[in-house]
Amino acid sequence: MAKKILAVDDDPDIIIFVKTVLEENGYIPLIARNGETGMAMVREEKPALVILDILMPKQSGIRMYREMRFDESLKNIPVVILSGIAKRTFLRSQEALTEFGDQSVPEPEAYIEKPVEPEELAEVIKKLVD
Amino acid sequence: MKTKKMLFVTQFEELWFDALQSLMDLRKSGFNHVVFLHVIERDKVAMRRGKGYLKDQEVKLREMANVRFIDWAEDLFVQGMEVGAYIVVGDILPKIISTAEEEGVDLIVTGRHRRPKLEELYAGSETLELLRRTSTPVLVHKYMLPSGKINEKPFERPLLALDWSPASENAVRYLLGFKDIIKKVVVIHVAGEKTFKSDSAMEIQAIRKKNRQKLEEVCDAFRDVGIEAESHLYVGATCEQLEKAAQEREATMIVGGTTGKKSLKEIFLGNTAKKLAERSVFPTLLIPANTRHEDS
Repeated sequence: MAKKILAVDDDPDIIIFVKTVLEENGYIPLIARNGETGMAMVREEKPALVILDILMPKQSGIRMYREMRFDESLKNIPVVILSGIAKRTFLRSQEALTEFGDQSVPEPEAYIEKPVEPEELAEVIKKLVD
Repeated sequence: MKTKKMLFVTQFEELWFDALQSLMDLRKSGFNHVVFLHVIERDKVAMRRGKGYLKDQEVKLREMANVRFIDWAEDLFVQGMEVGAYIVVGDILPKIISTAEEEGVDLIVTGRHRRPKLEELYAGSETLELLRRTSTPVLVHKYMLPSGKINEKPFERPLLALDWSPASENAVRYLLGFKDIIKKVVVIHVAGEKTFKSDSAMEIQAIRKKNRQKLEEVCDAFRDVGIEAESHLYVGATCEQLEKAAQEREATMIVGGTTGKKSLKEIFLGNTAKKLAERSVFPTLLIPANTRHEDS
């Protein structure tokens, strides 16, 4: 049975791009336009993988990622960050939030800075899901 | 009401990242979430004869804004702040209002948006229109001082203008919530020349005394929460006197309440709010009468 993969991004062009890559590789794409909706969909759908942007309305990918990692039932879902925000920034922001009193979180399974070629994205997904 | 979440509206004309940085003092009172908004004005990408909708232009403008927002967001994320961004095509005012509502922000920060003269004649001031349609406080931010330096801490020494209306009482309650960042508040009432219509010196002195007493009561409310306060009574045209007082008292911003309705009776509505927001060299914080408070 085809696996469900959730893409969380507010950029309509990226959504179309990711959706196409997922469909062409035999996955079922689920789409959310911000971290808040994304979190609700992760809880409801329990996808096999999440492709996550960082800078979004409502809730950023940084907060959504933390929320997923702090949730026992979601913490093992692999996450691919696909963003224009540098990986170094992502890691430093997680450190900053940990310094403010939160628990630390592990690094995401993959981090891709935009733009990405369809083949590269498909390969990363396959490695983590199949 | 704590100011935790801010909508930072920029057209990349007046407000840049240093304008936002000048507001970082607000973090001491709980501010930790910025939502950027850039509106690509419709006429920049609108249909042209023979060309249709300028999609290429939209993509270009969108990406330019995106590059800037990513850069700004990176700076904020590493400080542990939460950041969001909207880059939308449309008319600026409705987009500010809808984004503020969607995100549930506590403060709208914007530059001076002025409609062309003719349009303003029919549609009114954009600043006033915004205040009429939102219950969220609006900071019309001018972060460059006349000296060319950056106004680094606008909340440090606000000048609070009072006209004794419920709206200005609301402004007092709002400012009391900033006790962690305000060092001193300058409380002022501007009495119009008409106030002194009596030719009796006793009567005029009585008016002066009554206003001074009211001003001192407000100062006491600030002192009670640990904010230093001083009061002043000025006479003359409201807008000019407030600007003058802000300069004389070395204020870092001007604050006032607004009713959000079209009423000529309200000192801070109409021309005063509009003039201060659009012409004053000081940042102008306008607080609608229906703004929620921590204690409400």
